[in-house]
Amino acid sequence: MSIDWKEYQAAGLWDELINDHGGARPGADNLCQMLARLSDAELNARKTAAEAAIRTMGITFTVYTGEGSGSIDREWPFDIIPRMVPKAEWDPIANGLKQRVNALNRFIDDVYHAQHILNDGIVPRELIEKSKDFRRECIGVSPAHGVWSHVCGTDLVRDADGTVYVLEDNLRVPSGVSYMLENREVMKRVFPELFEDYRIMPIDDYPDQLVRTLRSLSPRKIKSPEVVVLTPGIFNSAYFEHAYLAQAMACELVEGSDLVVGKDDCVYMRTIEGLIRVDVIYRRIDDLFLDPKVFRKDSALGVPGLIRAWRSGNVALANAPGCGVADDKVIYTYVPQIIRYYLGEEPILPNVPSYRCVDKDSRDYVIANIDKMVVKPANESGGYGMLIGPKSTKAERRKFVRQILANPRNYMAQPMLMLSTAPTLVHNHAEPRHLDLRPFILSGAATYVTTGGLTRVAMRKGSMVVNSSQGGGSKDTWIVDVE
Amino acid sequence: MKQHTLSKTAERIYWLGRYLERAESTARLVNVNSNLLMDLPRKIPLAWSSLIDIMGNREHFNTLYDAPDERNVVRYLTADQHNPGSLLISLSMARENARTIREIMPRVAFEYINDLFLYAKDQVSNPLSRSRTTAMMEGVMRRVQHIAGFLSGTMVHGDTWSFLRIGEFLERADMTTRIIDVRSVDMLELTEGLEPYSQLQWRSVLRSLHALQSYHLAVQEPIQQPLVLQFLFNNDELPRSLAYCTSRIRSSLRSLPRNQKPLAAINRVIRLLDSVDVAKLKAVELHAFIDNCQLQLAHVSRDIDRTYFHARLRVAHS
Repeated sequence: MSIDWKEYQAAGLWDELINDHGGARPGADNLCQMLARLSDAELNARKTAAEAAIRTMGITFTVYTGEGSGSIDREWPFDIIPRMVPKAEWDPIANGLKQRVNALNRFIDDVYHAQHILNDGIVPRELIEKSKDFRRECIGVSPAHGVWSHVCGTDLVRDADGTVYVLEDNLRVPSGVSYMLENREVMKRVFPELFEDYRIMPIDDYPDQLVRTLRSLSPRKIKSPEVVVLTPGIFNSAYFEHAYLAQAMACELVEGSDLVVGKDDCVYMRTIEGLIRVDVIYRRIDDLFLDPKVFRKDSALGVPGLIRAWRSGNVALANAPGCGVADDKVIYTYVPQIIRYYLGEEPILPNVPSYRCVDKDSRDYVIANIDKMVVKPANESGGYGMLIGPKSTKAERRKFVRQILANPRNYMAQPMLMLSTAPTLVHNHAEPRHLDLRPFILSGAATYVTTGGLTRVAMRKGSMVVNSSQGGGSKDTWIVDVE
Repeated sequence: MKQHTLSKTAERIYWLGRYLERAESTARLVNVNSNLLMDLPRKIPLAWSSLIDIMGNREHFNTLYDAPDERNVVRYLTADQHNPGSLLISLSMARENARTIREIMPRVAFEYINDLFLYAKDQVSNPLSRSRTTAMMEGVMRRVQHIAGFLSGTMVHGDTWSFLRIGEFLERADMTTRIIDVRSVDMLELTEGLEPYSQLQWRSVLRSLHALQSYHLAVQEPIQQPLVLQFLFNNDELPRSLAYCTSRIRSSLRSLPRNQKPLAAINRVIRLLDSVDVAKLKAVELHAFIDNCQLQLAHVSRDIDRTYFHARLRVAHS
């Protein structure tokens, strides 16, 4: 017997599958028993089958190897033991996510129009005006349904006491949903028998929901609006996902050079039939590269005139430019107030307790306790530019203190959470590894939340960095209807 | 809702067709040559270097290798990363083109193409003996044919399919002319006392085009130059003949929008083929005729490129 749950130790941590006494959490009995019955050889065979499926399905992601040396394609790291969440536990989380994204969209729309929330002093005006993601070009623009962030990926974590927190909102161009879908496909190939034992909620309607959301944004009220996915191209780390989604939605995958803006301020794509008008662009390139006439002049990825076409209301951009103003890590600390302000409701999902370095008291506290905190810059993603206090060197901490003092607005800090774990296969044994969860929320004419999301796992023992660019892996995530 | 075919997508699937066809041709050429050399006396000069001439890059070869012996030529044609026409590069380009158009092919097609590339890469990571080379070339041909068959059986036979076919048949037509051209030049060098081997040579040309058995079935005469040339240029049922390739290109073009220019170009090739009796051509005339065919085929590629891939399009005014 290779996996012995009695030997499995996740002391002092919340484990997603196994309780403190080495027993299965509610609903997980069958899965745990089945895994324990597998011999070394069988476990290995399943693991190999998963790796082979990932290789032949070409599920890859791109890693930047540093300046000059370019990037390489790696096969997607996948752990064959699924993560399980009972549906009864998931449903309120899904409601909390809808509430949160709804409020954030109201916030962005307000910030680019009347700015009530700034006038009422709920969020300091200075924070917005000094934010490098606040785009003056977006002031006064009214996207359909008042929605700016049509596709949001919210990172959830669970602390040692079992509480689920929102760690961050990714409102700009979040990625990972294709891996969520592919993980399920791999899992079906590797453990088909488990899908008979469990009522695992399906996730594969995501592409349909996405295309429905995108079509609801079309400026032309026609039966089949022209929707395209705009990618920076094959060398982007998420290109796999761009191609995947375009195919799943049966729409064109375009690069900037495939599009052109006419004198009529409409967007067209170059096809073998000639030029065809485009209604909705699901853009997977950053704001600053969208339009060399407005943002970075050296951008070869964008489409000259695109922002003009968008401002004229002739094309919808999803996500809308400028929505990054709300996923700044300092704005994050205001989200509970934002929810109360726009919706008059209490937040369903809590934020991780956070300290804004711009407030003197908080700043002093952070600096005094920096060895216990996680310090985050306002506008980085992918885990870059962070200080993880308990794992840092003295020199790193000193450097961060200097950076905080030089630009306090740019930093916030949180106590180090002990992220929950789940059993992960390591040399034919199950060992606890830390993980998070990224569900995706779609907003257009209606709101939709994925059933579960992408579970990312820190494959290194003890590590809490789950980003695939830094050695993270992933698991299939099951929302299970347990009687 | 009909999906529109992006110019870029059309271009990539066209090149996918070309590279897959090129890979298969290269693999077959290498194997046929091995087979031929086993039958030829050692004093015959052509040996392996004519393969480099077929692929059209002797000068480049000379910058990389000291002698055109079997080991070097096979390496150059299969594994060499510096030879833009090598089998491995063709497969890698096929894969890159396929990767970027996954959204318009059945998803598993990319898996097959990816597998094919990984197979070839893995095979050439160690030096290849003659028997391993033969097995690998067989492996490549079988996989390309599997992919072509799979695509034919599963892809919607619409615009993108037409571009795949056009790429495939333009490459094939081009390769057929190259093989005939180089081998007939070899034949010139093969005079004095070596005539018996001429028949062997034409047999290998037929083999290179997978057409030996078909020749026997269709022509029912002993192998001889005039009949082989007629068969390879004019037979409209042989899948690697010029007549067949050009007629497939024409029918694919007919299904595409805005096809006037490329259609006119392919019709010029077809008229050229009809206007000449290849059986009567002497060596020099044959060479000139083949040159002309290649030039006209190049015009077809050029017009396809200008019409569909890199058109200067005027933006509509409202």
